[in-house]
Amino acid sequence: MKRKSTAIVAALAAVALGAAACGSDSDSGGTTAGGAKDGNYKLAFVQGVAGDAFYITMECGIKEEAAKEGATVTTQGAQKFDPTLQTPILQSVIASKPDAILIAPTDVSAMQQPIAQAKAQGIKIVLVDTTLNDPSVAVSAISSDNTAGGKAAFEAIQKLAPNGGKVLGVGVQPGISTTDARDKGFADAAKADSKFTYLGVQYSQNDPAKAASIVSAALQKDPDIVGIFASNLFSAQGSATGIRQAGKQGQVNVVGFDAGPEQIKALQDGTVQALIAQQPGDIGVQGVQQAIKALKGESNEANIQTGSTIITKDTIDSAEGKAAAYKASC
Amino acid sequence: MTAVLEARGITKHYGHVEALTNANFDVQAGEVVALIGDNGAGKSTLVRILSGAEAADGGEVLFDGKAVQLTSPTDARELGMETVFQDLALAPHLSPVQNMYLGREVMRKGLLGKLGFMDSKAMRDGSRSAFDRLGATVRDLNGTVGGMSGGQRQGIAVARAAAWAQKVIFLDEPTAALGVVQTQNVLDLVRRVSGEGIGVVFISHSMPHVMEVADRIQVMWRGRRVATYNKADTSMEQLVSAMTGAVAQEAS
Amino acid sequence: MSTTTTAPPASTEDAPTSRLSRISRLQALQILILLVVTIAVFTALRPDTFLTGFNIRGIVQNTAIYAVLGVGMTFVIITGGIDLSVGSVLVFSGVVADKIMVAYGGQGWGTVLVGLVAALASGLAWGLLNGILVAKAKVPPLVVTLGSLSAALGFAQIITKGLDLRDAPQTLVNDIGFGNIVGQVPTIAVVSAVVVIFGIVLLHRTRLGLYTYAIGSNAEAGRRAGVKVERHLIKVYAFAGLLAGFAGLLNLGFFQSTTIGGQSNTPLNVIAGVAIGGTSLFGGIGSVFGTVIGLFIPIVLQNGFIQTGVQPFWQQVVVGAVLVAVVYVDQLRRAAALRGTKTRLPFLSRAGSTSRKGSA
Repeated sequence: MKRKSTAIVAALAAVALGAAACGSDSDSGGTTAGGAKDGNYKLAFVQGVAGDAFYITMECGIKEEAAKEGATVTTQGAQKFDPTLQTPILQSVIASKPDAILIAPTDVSAMQQPIAQAKAQGIKIVLVDTTLNDPSVAVSAISSDNTAGGKAAFEAIQKLAPNGGKVLGVGVQPGISTTDARDKGFADAAKADSKFTYLGVQYSQNDPAKAASIVSAALQKDPDIVGIFASNLFSAQGSATGIRQAGKQGQVNVVGFDAGPEQIKALQDGTVQALIAQQPGDIGVQGVQQAIKALKGESNEANIQTGSTIITKDTIDSAEGKAAAYKASC
Repeated sequence: MTAVLEARGITKHYGHVEALTNANFDVQAGEVVALIGDNGAGKSTLVRILSGAEAADGGEVLFDGKAVQLTSPTDARELGMETVFQDLALAPHLSPVQNMYLGREVMRKGLLGKLGFMDSKAMRDGSRSAFDRLGATVRDLNGTVGGMSGGQRQGIAVARAAAWAQKVIFLDEPTAALGVVQTQNVLDLVRRVSGEGIGVVFISHSMPHVMEVADRIQVMWRGRRVATYNKADTSMEQLVSAMTGAVAQEAS
Repeated sequence: MSTTTTAPPASTEDAPTSRLSRISRLQALQILILLVVTIAVFTALRPDTFLTGFNIRGIVQNTAIYAVLGVGMTFVIITGGIDLSVGSVLVFSGVVADKIMVAYGGQGWGTVLVGLVAALASGLAWGLLNGILVAKAKVPPLVVTLGSLSAALGFAQIITKGLDLRDAPQTLVNDIGFGNIVGQVPTIAVVSAVVVIFGIVLLHRTRLGLYTYAIGSNAEAGRRAGVKVERHLIKVYAFAGLLAGFAGLLNLGFFQSTTIGGQSNTPLNVIAGVAIGGTSLFGGIGSVFGTVIGLFIPIVLQNGFIQTGVQPFWQQVVVGAVLVAVVYVDQLRRAAALRGTKTRLPFLSRAGSTSRKGSA
C-alpha cells in the first residue's frame, strides 16, 4: 500500500510538473501581454468592496465608457473593504494579464507593493476613488474632492441646525484617503464655526452595527448632539439605527456621504436629513478614459477631482437629485 | 513474610456516599489474588487508590512493609506497580508500539535524543519481544489499536502492564468482554506474569475464572473486605454467600 | 526484557496496515488529487495565465502566512482543541513588533531581528495564557481562545488607538514581505516552508508530536501512562501562539500594515484548511502536510475563479461545500474503522476529560 500510494503521488507530481511546463511553454510562445490592438483593450476593475452601490455605480460608468471604446471589462471585489482580502484578488487579476487595472485601493500603504507589482508587469494603473501613499505608480488618480465633500456636509448641518450645537463625525477607519479627507473637511469647517462644538470622529470599521453602538453611546454622553456626519454608506446606516435606538429622531440631523438606494430610502423616511452624493459614475467614465489614453501612449492627467451634490428631502425627486442617486445595478 | 502491597483501614467517600469504609487488602509477591464482590462493593475504588489514580480520605498503604504516599499514577509506577483498567487506557489512534511505550519512550542517543527524537526501532523490537513472551496476539505492530479486536486490545494492555511491572499488577475485569479463546489467553497470561514473581490483583465477576486463576480470594462487601480464602479451602458457594454479606470474617 | 521467545507470529512487518492509518493516508492523497485536478482545470481554461511564474508566486505568497498559522493550528486540533485567537494574536504581535522596531529605530536587519524577538515573545505570551487556561483552569478551548481573540485584538486597538501602524522597516517589507530569496522565489514562501518542514518533523518524529496525538486520542490514557498532559497542552498552545506571533511579523512585512481590522476571518480560514487537510476535529488524527494542501485549495479556487471571470462569491460556496463533504466522508469512514470514538467535539469540553465510555 505504502509503495503504491507513493507511486501515485509521484505520478501526480509528474503530471503537475508536466502541466506546469506546458503552461510556461504556451506562456512564452503565446501572445505577449499588453499587445492587444487599438480599441480591443482588456480592462479590469478591482472594487474596494463588492456589492456596494457606490462601486456598482462606478462599474456602470466604467462599462458604459468601455463599451464606447470597444474595450472589455471584468470586475472583482472582496466581501470586505480590507487589504488582506484585496491583495490576493489583485494578484489573481494581475496574473490574468489585463491591459489596464482600475482599482480602489483599500489601504494607502498595504496596497502600495501589490499595485507596484502590477505596474512591474507592464499593466497601466488608474486609481479610482481611493489612492496610495505614493500615487505615482498610477497613470492617473481620480477621486471625488473629498475635503470639499466634508465641508459640504457641514454646510448641510448648518442649514438644518441654524442655532448651532454639538456635532460628531462617524468615520470608517483611519488610513483610507477618501474618508480621512471627508472627516478633515468636516472637522475644519466645524471648528471654524464658533456656534458649533466638534466632538471629534469615531470609527465604525465599516460595520453598521458598530456605527450604531458608537452613536447610541455618544448620545448617552452628549444627549444634545444636533448633527452627525457619517462619512460613508455603512456608517450612515448604522448612525440612523443608533439615533432610533436612542429615540432622538428629529433632534439629531444625520448627514450621510454617498447616495445608495438604502440611503435614499433613509432620506425619504426622514432618518437621514441630507446626503452628500459623489459622482462615482463620472469617476468610472474618467478612469476608463485615462486608462485608454495611457494605453494609446497619450498623456494623462495625474489628478482628477470630481464634484459632489447635496441631496435633501426637498431635492430628492428633482431631476438633479435622481441623477445623483447611486444605482443598485446597471 | 510481609506482603508486597498492603492496605489498612482505607476510607473513601464521594459526597455522602461511603465507597470504602475501613477497607483492608494485601497481596504477596508471585501470587494471584482475586478481588471479588458485588457491584458497588468498592473493588474498583480500592484499585484506583492503590494505583495512585485517586487519593484516599483515610488509612495507610504499605509497600514492602513501608508506608507510602500514592498521589499519582506515576508514584505507583515508580514503585513497580502497573494497572490495567477496565477501559484499558489505550490511545485508539496510536499503534501498539506507541501505546506500549507511551510515557516511557526510548529516545535516540546523543543530541537527537535530547531534541526529542525517538528510537522507533528499539521500541518496535521491545514491543515485539514483550508481546511474544506473554503470548499476546498482535498481528500488526504499525496499525492503530482502535481498529483491533477486543482480544487484541486486551492483550496489548495486559502485556504493556506486565512488561513494565516489577512488583504488582492490577487487572480490573480483564475478561469481561472477551470470547472463550481470548479469555483463556488472558488467564494464561495472568499465570505467566505471576510466575515471574509479580503480585497480580485480579478483579472479576466470573467465579469460574477466579477459581481457575487465583491463589487467594478476598471478598468485599459494602466498602470493606469481609473475608479472605485460600482457593484450596473454599468453594463457589462460600464465595457467593460472602459476597452477599452473609459471612463476615473481619469485623467492621 | 527476557529473551525467551515463543514462535513469533507470522511476520508482523509485512502485515497490511490497519484500515485507519490507510484511511488517513488516503484522505491526504485525495485532497492532493483534488488540488491537482483544480489546478489542471484552471490551467486548461486559462493556459496563458494560470500556471505562470507570476501567478504561482502570487498563490504561494498568499498561502504563506496561513501556512505558518496552520502548523500551530494542526497541533492544537490534533490534541482535540481549537485556537480561535490566532488572527488577533497575529495582529497584536505585529503591533508590538512595529512599536518596538520604531522605538529601536533603523530600517535594517538589526531592527527586523528586534522585531522578530518582540513578535515571538508576544505570540508566546498569548499562547501560554491560552494553554494555562485550557490545561490548568480546565476552561474549554473554544471559550478560552474566543476570549483571547477578543482581548488580543482589544489590546492591539488600545496600543494603536485603532489606527493601523504602517512604519515597518524597509528591510522587512522589501526583503522579507515582497523580496525574493533567489530568482523569483519569494522569501516569505521559503520562510513559511521552513516552518512547515519543522512542523512536520516535530509532529511525526519527536516525542512532543507523539504526545500531541496521544492527548487527542485519549488524554486519560496518556495521563495514566505518565504523560504530563497539562504541561504538554500548555506547550502545544504556546507553540501555536509563537507561530501566530511569527506570522504577525510576516504579515507586517507583507502588508506594510498591522491590518487590525483585517484578520477576523483568519482563524476560521485556517481551521477550514486544517479540516480539509484531513485533521480530525475530534482529535488524534492529522498531518501538517494535509493542512498545507487544505490551505492551498481555497486560495487556488479564488485565483482561478477570478481569472475565469466567475464571481468570487462562488469561492466561498465551493470551499464551504468541500469542507463539509470532506469532513463528512472522513467521519463515515472513520466510524467504520475506529470503535469507541468520541461522540462530542472535544474542544467544547474541558481539557482531558474523557468523553469516551469504557469499551473493551
